[in-house]
Order: sequence, then C-alpha cells, then structure tokens
Amino acid sequence: MQTAPSLPLLSAGPVPPAAGSATPWAALDEPAEWEGFSRPAAGREGWWESCLAIEGMHCAACALTVESVLRKLPGVDAVQVNGVTAVARLQWQPQATRPSAWMAALRQAGYGALPAGDLLLAGNRQRAQRLMLWRWLVAGFCMMQVMMYAAPAYLAPAGEITPDIRALLGWASWVLTLPVLLFSCWPFFAAALRDVRHLRIGMDVPVALGVLIAFGASTAATFDPASPWGEHASYDSVPMFVFFLLSGRLLEQRLRDRTAGALEALMRRLPDSVERQEADGSFRAVAVRRLVAGDLVRVLPGQAFPADGDVESGESRVDQSLLTGESKPLLRRAGDGVIAGSHNLTSLLLVRVRRVGAQTRYAEIVALMEQASLEKPGLVQLVDRIASPFLAAVLLAAAAAAWWWWPFGQAHAMAVAVSVLIVTCPCALSLATPAAMLAGAGALARRGVLVRKLQALESCAAVDTVIFDKTGTLTEDRMDVVMAHTPAGVNRDEVCGMAGALARHSLHPVSRAIAARFPGVEWVASEVEEVTGRGLRGKVARLNGSDARYLYLGSAFFCRAPVQGRDVPVLQAHLSDGEHYLAGFELDEAMRPDAAQAVAALLKLGIRVQLLSGDTGRAVAQLARRAGIEWCFAECTPEAKLEHVCGLQREGHRVMMVGDGMNDGPSLAVADVSMAMGQAVPLAQAGADFIMTGNRLLTVADVLAQARRTRAVVRQNLLWAALYNATCVPLAILGYMPTWLAGFGMAASSLLVVANSARLARNAGKN
Amino acid sequence: MDILFLLIPLSVALALLILGGLGWAVWRGQFEALEQEGERILHDD
Repeated sequence: MQTAPSLPLLSAGPVPPAAGSATPWAALDEPAEWEGFSRPAAGREGWWESCLAIEGMHCAACALTVESVLRKLPGVDAVQVNGVTAVARLQWQPQATRPSAWMAALRQAGYGALPAGDLLLAGNRQRAQRLMLWRWLVAGFCMMQVMMYAAPAYLAPAGEITPDIRALLGWASWVLTLPVLLFSCWPFFAAALRDVRHLRIGMDVPVALGVLIAFGASTAATFDPASPWGEHASYDSVPMFVFFLLSGRLLEQRLRDRTAGALEALMRRLPDSVERQEADGSFRAVAVRRLVAGDLVRVLPGQAFPADGDVESGESRVDQSLLTGESKPLLRRAGDGVIAGSHNLTSLLLVRVRRVGAQTRYAEIVALMEQASLEKPGLVQLVDRIASPFLAAVLLAAAAAAWWWWPFGQAHAMAVAVSVLIVTCPCALSLATPAAMLAGAGALARRGVLVRKLQALESCAAVDTVIFDKTGTLTEDRMDVVMAHTPAGVNRDEVCGMAGALARHSLHPVSRAIAARFPGVEWVASEVEEVTGRGLRGKVARLNGSDARYLYLGSAFFCRAPVQGRDVPVLQAHLSDGEHYLAGFELDEAMRPDAAQAVAALLKLGIRVQLLSGDTGRAVAQLARRAGIEWCFAECTPEAKLEHVCGLQREGHRVMMVGDGMNDGPSLAVADVSMAMGQAVPLAQAGADFIMTGNRLLTVADVLAQARRTRAVVRQNLLWAALYNATCVPLAILGYMPTWLAGFGMAASSLLVVANSARLARNAGKN
Repeated sequence: MDILFLLIPLSVALALLILGGLGWAVWRGQFEALEQEGERILHDD
C-alpha cells in the first residue's frame, strides 16, 4: 500500500503525474465513465460535449495555452477556456479521441484536469446569462439608434421636416424597434402568454400589453399618418423602457446569483472523480458514484472529499467551513473522520470510505437546503394572494385611464394607458419577502446554521425567550473535572500528575476527564489493571523510575482508604495508595466552551434565557451559574418541559427552544422556533426549524440577530413597494408619467428591493 | 437633403451589423473573462 502523507504538492500548482499507475485516466475511457460527464453535442451527430475543471491555471495567458493544447488534439473541436472560472468546454468525437488523451496532453503542458459533469449544468445557466446579456445589449443599442432618428422630430421647428423625411425616419425607427420587440421582449411575452393560457394574471401581462399597445400605436402612426393615432410616432419610448426593464432584470439576476452563491457553492462541492485504490494496490481515477463503502481513496491537497470516511493515513488540515461554519481549518490524522464536501488543504490523505452518496452528511445538508428554498413562508403566500387582484385592478385602471383621456386624443390616451401598465411594480411587492429571506438564510448557511423552514426566520424575529436543554446542548458528551481536592500534607500537583498518568490507561469517561485535565507527563504507569465498574490500579513512577508507588484510582470502596472527600451528590473519583487517601476528584459534564459567551450575547439582545433539564437540581444550578443563566428548572420530565413551554406561550412569550434534537422532540415541536444541535442525529430526522451543523452555541445569538435584521429588511421592502405603487400609479393615471419614466421607475423599484435584501448577505459577519 | 435617403438606410444596416458583432462577442464569452481576449493578440497561434 502506498503511504505518502507528505508529498510536496501545491494545491494551486501544476499536478505531477499520479504515482502508482501508468495511465491514471484510462478508467475515463470507458463509455460508461465518460457519459457521466459528457453529453451529445447539440446539432452535431457523433460529437460529444464535455467540461473539464482545469487545475493550475493562473492567468489569462494560461487559458490561451490550455485552449491551444486542447485544440491541437485530433478529434477535439470547439474548445473554449474561461480564465476566470478555470473551466474548459470542448466537443469531441469518440472515434478519434478519448478523455485520457486530453488529460495526458494537459498534464504534459503542466496542468491538471478533472472531468466535471455538474459544470455542464452550470453551462445551462451560463447560456441563460449570455442570452440575457444579449437581449439587454440589443435593447440598449437599438434604443440609442432609435433616439437618433427621433431627435430631429423634437429639435426641428414645426414644418421644417418634410413628410417624406419624416416617413423615412419613422421607417428606420420601426426597423430597429423590431429586434427589441421580437427578441429583447421575448421573456415578457413568453411569461405573459403562459399566464394567459392558464387564465391567470401574472407580473408580465401588463408589461407585455404595454409594449404591444405602444408599438401598435406607433406603427399605425408611421404607416398611415392620416389615422387617428396622429402622425407623431413615439418609437423612442418602446426600446427605452424595454431597456430599463431589462437592466433591472439583468442586475437582479446578477445580484441573486451572488446571494444564492452561498447555497450553490455548497451544493456543487463534490468532485466528479477520485483516485481509488485497486486490488493491485495502484490508484486509478474512477467516477465518484462508483465508490462503495470500504474503498480506499487518495485525496490530494486542494481537492474535496468525495464521501464520508475515516483517515487511514496521513495528516492534513481540513476546511469544513461551508458544512459546519467552523472557520478554522481542522487537523485530521489517522483515525479521524472527514466529511464529503469539505476540502483537504495541506497534504495528501488516504481515506477509507464509510458512507457514500445520499447517506453522506453533505447529501443530507443539500437535501435540507433544497427543501427549505422551495418552501413559501406565510408572508410570501399572502403577497401572492394579493398580487393577482392587484394586477387585475391595474389592468382596469389602465383601461379606465384610456377611456377618460380618449376625448383628448387617442394617441395621448394610449400613452397614458401604457404608462399605467408599465409603472406598476408588483415585482417589488412579491420580491420583497422572499428575496430578503433567501439572502438571510444564505448568510446563515455560511455560518453553519441550516434553515429548514424559511417561515421560522419570520417567527424567530419575535422571540423573547430562549430555553436551553442541558445535556448535549449546553454541555458536551464528555466529563470534566470541576474540582480536585487533596488532604493537608499532600503535594497536590504531584498526586494529580500521578492520577493522570494512571488514568491515561483507561477509556472510561471519568479516566479520560482526569487524564485530559492532568496530563501528568513526568509520570509513567505500569502494570495497570482495570476493574470494570470500580477503578484502576497500577504502579506509578517518575520517568526516571524513582518514587514508584502502587496506586488505586476509582470508587471509595475500591481505594481501600477512608474517604476524605466532601459529601456532595456529584460523581466523584478517589486516589489512594491503599493506606493513605491522596486526592478526590469531582466530575461534571463538560460545558461547551462558548456557552457563557452565547448566553451573554443573548442577554445583550434583550432576550430571557432559561435552562430546562431532567437532571438533579444541584447539577443544573451549578451549570446555570457557570453559564450565567438566571432561571433554571431541574428534574423536568418531557411532559413538564412541554408544560413549561406552553405556560410561557400562554403568558404571551415567544419561545425558542434549543436542544440536541433527540430527547426533547415534543418541546422542540411546540416551541415557536426550535433549533437543534445537528451533530448527534441524522439531520433529516431532527425535527427543528434551524439546525446547527457546527457546535458553536454562539450561532444561536447570530440566528436571532439575523432574523431581526431580515424582518427589518422585509418591512422596508414591503413599505417601499407599497409607497411606490401608491404614488406612481395615480400619477400615471393622471397623465404625469411619460412612458420612459414609467419603465425606469419600475426597474429601479424592483432593483432597490433586491439590492436592499442583498445587504443581509453582506452583513452576516457582523453582529 | 436627398443624400438622407441613402444615409439613413445605410445607418440602419450598420446598426444591425454592429448588433451582430455584439452578439458574436457575447456568445464567445468575451464579457466573462475580460483580460483573456485582450491577451489573445499577443499569443502566437
């Protein structure tokens, strides 16, 4: 077996050939493998399209080098390399070339490559983005040109422009407005058509109607100047407001991509292929979905782990920040677990696969997030219900305005109607809540909190009482020495060191706690014997062999010495040499290191903190004092906990319950908001609104602060949307709103809402 | 002023041509990696 834990590899540099196998990529040449990351090229028979993630690319020049390397290969065509995202896209013929050939060529040129199937999906989004940009450019360019043709009509004194020139200008404007109408506007028309077919009124119906009416009126004016539409065509307004609307959508798309980035970055983290050890001991690249539990894989620095597993050999730092919110890289050595989707940072690791595919923690997290993003919070449902009648009212208002202004000139009446249709911005109204909530949830995900129900973010903002469960929530599942006492005349440091040296030989929780607290490095124990349920005995001596004594560590009976410990109802362990009592240790559950800090942060937010536990009064009171919690309730049965939460709710409090998601299921369910420590249980089973993937209690305060900020932003958004519509629609009906201004107002209004929400994603780091 | 009857259609044609160029640039991905296209001219092949 290969063990090379500290190969001098650079994650960003060119990757050397994989040792141990002559053609590491040969596995990719089987059709079953390359079909996983390729698809038939559109419109080219016998050609396939693939995506590669290129490693070791630094600059634009690298992109061009990679491009020319790939292009020189026979049977490879249509190569595009993006220097920013480090992705190569190519089309190829299976008869002429195979993936291993590209990999070898790239490696020779000093670059590493990984087949990337999910990038093909990302390609669809890239297509959508390009299409959007292209529509926007067409609208913008045509707008400028049409404005040039329109300028003479505005500038020249009446009668100066001859009718034939006017007709010529009108014709030219008409030709350049057509692409805007047929191409740039298509998303609006398509959405409107879909709505009409389903007999409902959507956001795009008024827009599509407005565009059509404005264009129709102008066309009539151009080609039949004698018609009642007047001879003054107003082409300039159509491309202009389409341009404004598209500008809004384009920016919105970009902002949303950036906000959703946190979620997406999480969802696309697994590699596509991984080096697995074969029966002969060599490593070969295989597709991740081929992995099964028990496989041994090699993960290079810079790569993501493909599955949950245990480190078999090697030592490296691992970045789990996206999955647990733990920002510091963690040290992982043989025997430690690693989770799929986290990144190996510093050196090579050999990992024994434990869970693959849907069973990994990563898959659970992704599934939870997908579920949450599909769900509609109550406020959104409310807005959706209002939107339809609102739009119907807008259509009626436009018709009424047109009818009112008709006697004053048809052209003017139509312009007013178009303004009314364009200026109303239900988008701002319907985006107000979900945009803010998604941004808030995304920011929390980056800090290690999964939002299972967006609705919870709404109710969380009103919380005034937080109740912690004790075991597993405020405490860790290990013991800690809270007190060590020695009789007079005994050297405390010495006996504690001896106890530690003895305790090192046992895995019992008490022994571990003592060994962790008192390392006892200057002592060694030998001839150690463990009596199950009683204690340990053995010979303890200094490192040089002096001062050897036979010692007993364990229960008072086991120690065969008169106990001089205090009579307190906590777990105790004693140390004696068979005749003399040497030391007593009081043990308690270890409190999480940030528990006191978290409680303080919550109190600062003005929130009442309580502790509920099924444990004995003394233990609970002691822990509450250490954590700084004022109210604590001990010896609670699950029913009593439930009753306590309900009682608080009856008094009008909004309660958030923080538990480990296992023993306190009922009270978690009945609380207004619930939060579970996600370490112990399978995530999908934890019946909580929020799940902490890390174990930092401080995130509880983060969640509450973020929920309050989110609520504030939602309110701002809704207020703005309501104010905007309430002022602009009447103005448009009264005829004070030129069409271009209407388009500008609508785009700006929805943009403002999205930008305001995006602040939530940015602020997440501050409290 | 008769020249306008030639110039205006010409300007329309030119505008459509420029639009085509823009489209080519968009679909080549030139707006996604802005430096790369500039450096292409310094590259040998």
